[in-house]
Amino acid sequence: MLKFGLKLAAAATVLAGVAFGSAAQATDGQKTFYLLSHGGPSDAFWIDWNAGATKACDQLKVTCKISFSGGDMAAQKEAFNSALAAKPDGIATTSAQPGLWTEEVKAAKAAGIPIVFFNTDDPATGRQAYVGADLKEAGAIWAKYLVDHKMVKQGDKVFLPVEVPGASYQQLETEGIAGVFDPLGIKYDVVDCGTDPAGIIAKMTDYMVANHPPAIIALGDSVAASVKRVFDGAGIAAGKVPVVGWGNSKETAEAVKDGFVNAAAWQYPSAQGFMPVALLDLAASGEPIGYDIHTFGLYDSSSVEPILKLYEKK
Amino acid sequence: MAVTAEDGTPSAKGRSNLMRSPQFSSFVILVILLAVFAIADSNFLSPLNISNMMAFLPELGIIALGMTLLLTAGEFDLSVGAVFGLAPVVVMLLVQNAGVDIGVALLAGLLLCIAIGAINGAIVTKIGISSFLVTLSMLLIVRGAALYITQGFPLKSWDQPGFFVTLLAGSFNIGAFRLYTSLWWFIGLSLLAVYVLRYAKLGNWISAIGSNRNAAVARGVPADAVKIWLFILTSVLAGLAGMISAFRISAASPVAGTGYELEVIAMVVVGGTALTGGRGTILGTIVGALMLRAIRNGIVLVGVPGLAYNIFVGVIILAMLILHALLQKNAARG
Repeated sequence: MLKFGLKLAAAATVLAGVAFGSAAQATDGQKTFYLLSHGGPSDAFWIDWNAGATKACDQLKVTCKISFSGGDMAAQKEAFNSALAAKPDGIATTSAQPGLWTEEVKAAKAAGIPIVFFNTDDPATGRQAYVGADLKEAGAIWAKYLVDHKMVKQGDKVFLPVEVPGASYQQLETEGIAGVFDPLGIKYDVVDCGTDPAGIIAKMTDYMVANHPPAIIALGDSVAASVKRVFDGAGIAAGKVPVVGWGNSKETAEAVKDGFVNAAAWQYPSAQGFMPVALLDLAASGEPIGYDIHTFGLYDSSSVEPILKLYEKK
Repeated sequence: MAVTAEDGTPSAKGRSNLMRSPQFSSFVILVILLAVFAIADSNFLSPLNISNMMAFLPELGIIALGMTLLLTAGEFDLSVGAVFGLAPVVVMLLVQNAGVDIGVALLAGLLLCIAIGAINGAIVTKIGISSFLVTLSMLLIVRGAALYITQGFPLKSWDQPGFFVTLLAGSFNIGAFRLYTSLWWFIGLSLLAVYVLRYAKLGNWISAIGSNRNAAVARGVPADAVKIWLFILTSVLAGLAGMISAFRISAASPVAGTGYELEVIAMVVVGGTALTGGRGTILGTIVGALMLRAIRNGIVLVGVPGLAYNIFVGVIILAMLILHALLQKNAARG
């Protein structure tokens, strides 16, 4: 029995080796890029990002190795170092924690591997280019929207739900919000809602019932996408509590159209997936890249239709 | 010789046995907790807040029922959260991509859960690998499968008004309370589980296996078959809960149920079921489910800082477990 089992395992190993070997041979000759995201593969934003990145890889005929570390920075660091060891033609990564890539970018540049950051930035590392939003500016824009539209006042405490507290995106956005709210004496409460959809709805609903916040800034796409259901559960009519935040999902776009969300931020996730690959392809072809591409826009009920049409096409 | 599966059966020793039972001390702790939160915030017992608690509670509670029976038999299943996510995703993929009728798709989803449970059970019983390791591996496989087949996309769930939406996610009002049909599912399945564990021969078998498997087998209990069926039941209940949740929130997400396995085990253990097997209580599980849901809800209402929720949940659960253990020791001595 044991001998049979060992023979079976050996045969399976050989077959797997042949299969993977063939796959590798098929992409021989193509440039290879590693794309590393700190996100989770089922987050609405990263789904679109993935689609954009994959489209770029197909169009530019390059091999892309995409990985998601689901918020685990240690895992992402390991993925980056594995990428370095594989000596690819380029690496694109998010930088969800400042200072995370200082040594790795140095090592990549020493090895002649172009490095592009996307979604979250850390210019101090010396990366060659960045594609994405300025997250601190995003937070400031949302906060200013509430202030300019007189939706919040001194003494108010604004609800800031987030999937992964402590992540760079939450920190930077909150810094931007603080820059606007602190001088005006407006308080804010960052709340950990997790990533489970039903759990997010339950946590946010509990918070709304308990605290009746005057406004919400949804710091992530999953929490933003849950706003309509949360309002239904908490018995809050559309438009009664102002909401701004991320809007990179069909649910949020629909919520904007239906009046549950006042204004949502669009990061052009598909472009954010496409452009790093394009930049890496240029760099790998010897073209200099030393510029940033900002992907950020605010939409409301008057400008939501193009985004909804985009989702309807999918 | 019959083995009593649940402590606290009213008898000549009646009140004394009841007060010594693990679920009684859990119940006392629950009442104290509810009182504390109600005093701290008047919204806690408001119809709106109770309605919100009751929306989410049955979904976890249904999974906890299966886990109680499985734990009583001395095993546990870490893949329940992943199955919770996979089942509705498979259902909706069949409906949306293959044009399968929703009823047939639901059945297919449940059959998949049966298969997962059967595989877990077979490997644990026939090959002899611990359920911790087997179901942990299954968690990774099932979660990975859900992500792969959806490419990460959450799917829009079934929302066509009709029999299945009413059956799984219908809502109704009792006065100012808005409740969901999942509550009836939870109550009905709880009654069934109480009957199995307290009155049916199967309940005796389950507890006997959990207490001393070899002795149970020597007495003619089909231990392996019972365990396999319990793994199947646990998976089916997890899948059913997932379908109910997906219909209720109109989304079938491949990451739904993340972390539920630990939450459910906590509910079961806090309720008084022994982690080592041999003693199980459905009533205790219901109390445990209420307790954990009340804790998660209550700390939000009393104004715990938004980033400190988990600290408070963990501290309260630990305090409850210590108190629970002390009350049990006291009751045993007295």
